[in-house]
Amino acid sequence: MHALKLPDAGWRRSPWTAWIPLLVLLALLGAVGTIQPSFISPENLGLLAGESSVILLLATAQTLVIMLGGIDVSVAALTALASVLMALALPSSGWGGLLGVLGLTTLLGAFQGFVHVRARIPSVVVTLAGLGMWSGLALVIAGTTVPVVEGYGTVAWLEGRSFGVHHSFAFAMAALALVAIAQHRMPFGRRIRAIGLNPAAARLSGIRIQRVKVVAFGMTGLFAGLAAMTMVARTASGSPTIADSLLLPSIAAVLIGGTAITGGTGGVWRTLVGVLTVTVLRVGIAATGLSAAYEPIAYGVLVVVAAALVVDRTARSSVK
Amino acid sequence: MNTPVLRVERLGKSFNGVRALDGVSIDVGPHEVVGVLGENGAGKSTLLKVLAGLCRPDAGEITVRGRTVRFGGPRDAAAAGISMVFQEQSLIPNLNVAENIMLGHEDAALRGGFYDWRKLHALSAVQLGKLDARIAPSALTETLSFAERQMVELAKALAIEERTPHEPLILLDEPTSMLDDEQARVVLPAIERLRSRASMILVSHRLDEVLRVCDRVYVLAGGRCVGQRHRGACTKTELQTMMLLQHPDVRGSPALPARSDASAVVLQVRELSRADRYRGVSFEVRAGEVLGIAGAAGSGRESLCRALFGAEVPDSGEMVLDGRRVRWSEPADAVRHGIGYVPAERSTEGLVAGMSVAENMTLAHLGELQRGPFIALGPEKALARRWMARLAIQPCTGETQAQWLSGGNQQKLVLAKWLIGRKLKVLILDHPWRGLDVAAKAEAVDMIREFARAGIAMVLITDSIDDLIASSDSLIVMKNGMVSGVFKGGPAKPPELRILECML
Repeated sequence: MHALKLPDAGWRRSPWTAWIPLLVLLALLGAVGTIQPSFISPENLGLLAGESSVILLLATAQTLVIMLGGIDVSVAALTALASVLMALALPSSGWGGLLGVLGLTTLLGAFQGFVHVRARIPSVVVTLAGLGMWSGLALVIAGTTVPVVEGYGTVAWLEGRSFGVHHSFAFAMAALALVAIAQHRMPFGRRIRAIGLNPAAARLSGIRIQRVKVVAFGMTGLFAGLAAMTMVARTASGSPTIADSLLLPSIAAVLIGGTAITGGTGGVWRTLVGVLTVTVLRVGIAATGLSAAYEPIAYGVLVVVAAALVVDRTARSSVK
Repeated sequence: MNTPVLRVERLGKSFNGVRALDGVSIDVGPHEVVGVLGENGAGKSTLLKVLAGLCRPDAGEITVRGRTVRFGGPRDAAAAGISMVFQEQSLIPNLNVAENIMLGHEDAALRGGFYDWRKLHALSAVQLGKLDARIAPSALTETLSFAERQMVELAKALAIEERTPHEPLILLDEPTSMLDDEQARVVLPAIERLRSRASMILVSHRLDEVLRVCDRVYVLAGGRCVGQRHRGACTKTELQTMMLLQHPDVRGSPALPARSDASAVVLQVRELSRADRYRGVSFEVRAGEVLGIAGAAGSGRESLCRALFGAEVPDSGEMVLDGRRVRWSEPADAVRHGIGYVPAERSTEGLVAGMSVAENMTLAHLGELQRGPFIALGPEKALARRWMARLAIQPCTGETQAQWLSGGNQQKLVLAKWLIGRKLKVLILDHPWRGLDVAAKAEAVDMIREFARAGIAMVLITDSIDDLIASSDSLIVMKNGMVSGVFKGGPAKPPELRILECML
């Protein structure tokens, strides 16, 4: 025993609270499975995973921004814009068009980050403006859904299955794994955590906060583009109004997974759990015959409960 | 003297093992204004907080009008007739003056649960009248000047009179620290007027004002009461000397061997200026030299140190590092060139609470630990373990979260954060042992010497002049933003009083 006095049990508690989201997910699967046994068949779980890939991509990038203590509410709108642009570009430009749109969304995301740090405007405000602009722009460019027939081959590979695994899910998981490596093994992730926990100390440790933030927002832009690509592959179309159904679940997934909205605590593996929870809710509510209106209600309740459990109050209060 | 209104005996209070109050005894008579003086960290604020019921003492006794009291919270203190005027104003800007004055005690002005505005205004006007303050009770608080708001604070504190049968005791925590002289001239007479109906304890940095208003003065240093003087029986310089010289210090340790002037100049500062902070500051630091910067509050030395690290950008002047002109636009630039900074606010600026000891230690030098794009986790762990052993950081596990270390160990961790840097050239120490107990401080002092000897140039700021003299090879003194004295290193240490002369 060392003489150090540990002020209350706050930090001891955090390890087991980190497992709560996973328990919630398993309980939820069990509950839906009891009501509707076919739900937890391998076949259906595979479908479920495929269903989750778009939100998985969006929530993965969102995790980085939330870890920084910010939020990006524009990703879903950017996805809508990108899906329209891709649908329009694919017939004539194929891969070139696809990569062009990915580059564009990355730039737009980074630009939002740049405005956020330079003008010192909270990220929620900047991205709220982005939400309006990107979804409006998507509607201006295409008044309605743009079907993709010619050129679909460029994204068709995302729709296949190998060994029972949906390609789009494997794709999203690969992207998540890369971000996880960046988060846990690279300076970038360490710096994001430090900034989220204590920006003043991070700055005085020589971390270039503005640069890290711009990169993180650029990544949400890129991931919005990737999500759009997956979307286009799934529906064989680009839709300017797709954002409405993606915004709440993609942010809720991050929080339900156990990443703290206050920044610094969390990670993309937790987000994976959150995404699966959101997807089970989504599909499960339909499978059990409940009205789809219960879906956002369930997100709402879970988000608040998750946020309350995750916030590490002891680490935030003054250390004295 | 009659029975004192307040008697405090052998009051003790520690935070995390650091003694903020160490057996402080004071008393306050009826209609007496008592001043409490001391440097930062002397224990003044803690004393007031204990008396206001905001924190509980570990030891000692508080007697109010002959009755021993134990406060569970500010309400208990208020019931005993003690109220406090805070340094950072506690008024709510979007309420009017009357609402603020009566806040929490509106019962007298309520009718069926609603404000009786006329009554509320009348009741608060009574309090303002006691101060002869010409402020309308209906004025919106945020439209008032700072001095006027301070008057409202006083009136609010005075309102306690209506609720206790006794004359109140009012605690004033730096009531004029945010005011210029003009504004202070408005507030001080109000304090004088209050004397006829209350006793007061006044904490202030402004010696003139304390000497003018207070009947008696206590001087605190390092959590102890080091002296008591009656007005008229002391001079400003005497009090200042008491405040600055009575720290538990490192005077026992041997003086550093004077650095030979042969070692290379590492950092050279020429005519550095920043509006309202410092002007035309020039000095140089050699490898292995500890340069102390002395100065009273407002000397600009803290701001200067932050400029050396890029945390603040100076308006003009230049810095030369190893013979090359450098400019920092943010701390990252300075870090890359081998400059480290130990901030005064250890827990909020020095450490990232929620990150482990090892992660904190390597945060500024992740680039040096990189293997390809990855952080080399094994070497990171080994490095952390090596430095924890070297600096005797307890507990010796890298996984412990930094905020659970004691103050002394936290400070060692912040030092380690810079010392692990392979090309550390200059280390800037902003009050490095503030809030440390004597043992932890002695350890930190030794550590700084050891690494100076290894060739790192150090720039040091401390609260106490004794500490500064003991740890520095040479000294510059700053006053009102300008260098007012230079004491070159040599076998003979400069006398404290000569340094004080340059400071004041």
